[in-house]
Amino acid sequence: MARDAERDGIFEVMETAVRELLTDKGLIAATDIRRQIEVLDSRSPALGAAVVARAWTDPAFKQRLLENGRMACEELGITFYDDTQLIVLENTNEVHNLVVCTLCSCYPRPVLGLPPDWYKLKPYRARAVYEPRQLLAEFGTVIPDDVEIRVSDSTAMVRFLILPQRPAGIDDLTTDQLAALVTRDAMIGVVRDLVPSGAVM
Amino acid sequence: MNDLSTLITRLPNDVGGQPAGPLDRSEHELLPWEKRCHALADVLDFRKIINTEEKRRGVEALGSEQIGKLGYYERWIVAFANILFQKGLLTPAELAVRMQAVEERQRSSE
Repeated sequence: MARDAERDGIFEVMETAVRELLTDKGLIAATDIRRQIEVLDSRSPALGAAVVARAWTDPAFKQRLLENGRMACEELGITFYDDTQLIVLENTNEVHNLVVCTLCSCYPRPVLGLPPDWYKLKPYRARAVYEPRQLLAEFGTVIPDDVEIRVSDSTAMVRFLILPQRPAGIDDLTTDQLAALVTRDAMIGVVRDLVPSGAVM
Repeated sequence: MNDLSTLITRLPNDVGGQPAGPLDRSEHELLPWEKRCHALADVLDFRKIINTEEKRRGVEALGSEQIGKLGYYERWIVAFANILFQKGLLTPAELAVRMQAVEERQRSSE
């Protein structure tokens, strides 16, 4: 979307005015916004990647993660700053999972940070539910015809994280090295195959 | 479905399954005010002032023209103002006066 200073001006003024009025009225604390920006800045796909790598290397953890995503993430010290639940969906040889929010932009922010722009825009939200294969092809992701695609639609209360398949032939990596292979897009499901580091695509 | 029946059976946000064009995969870093607006949404939620469903409904209530023309966080801040008016926590006059004060402050610091 085209952006210019004048266009942003009125909305930025409105944001400042609303924030100041709420603070003056004691409805929010003066430090609330600054503190929440720090929380937002502390969240990135690296957290989700650490969860995935742990699940690859610790079968008991993986089972707990698939049973209750939020509790398992909290076990790793990842706090949830909202009331959302997290469902973790495992990719297999037979099934590929894809996450969308058709109504708006719900996303597992505590473990992935803020969603990419395309996740919030109509083409992705509209098409994911009826032509996921074509949509994924636009990401360069080709899902074989014999692999089922399951699309999960997020809500205000329930968010989804994909557990990608562990790449083959990397048995000697540490959990941290494994985490470095896991990308945001793979945890949304728009990428299926993770590439061992050093490999050329 | 034709355009008219879509208009009356679907709220503007309800786009799942509708025809749509190709993806634009470009991404942008949030502007400072956009990040503050996001933080404000989270704070309004945990302070039990506006929850996520109310926010989504507030955006729907802007109507399809505003939804089509405003950007993502532009819709949010306008929706927050409307919801705060409806809840009696702010008045339009208070907001107008404060926005003018903020603008004058910005101008004098330029």
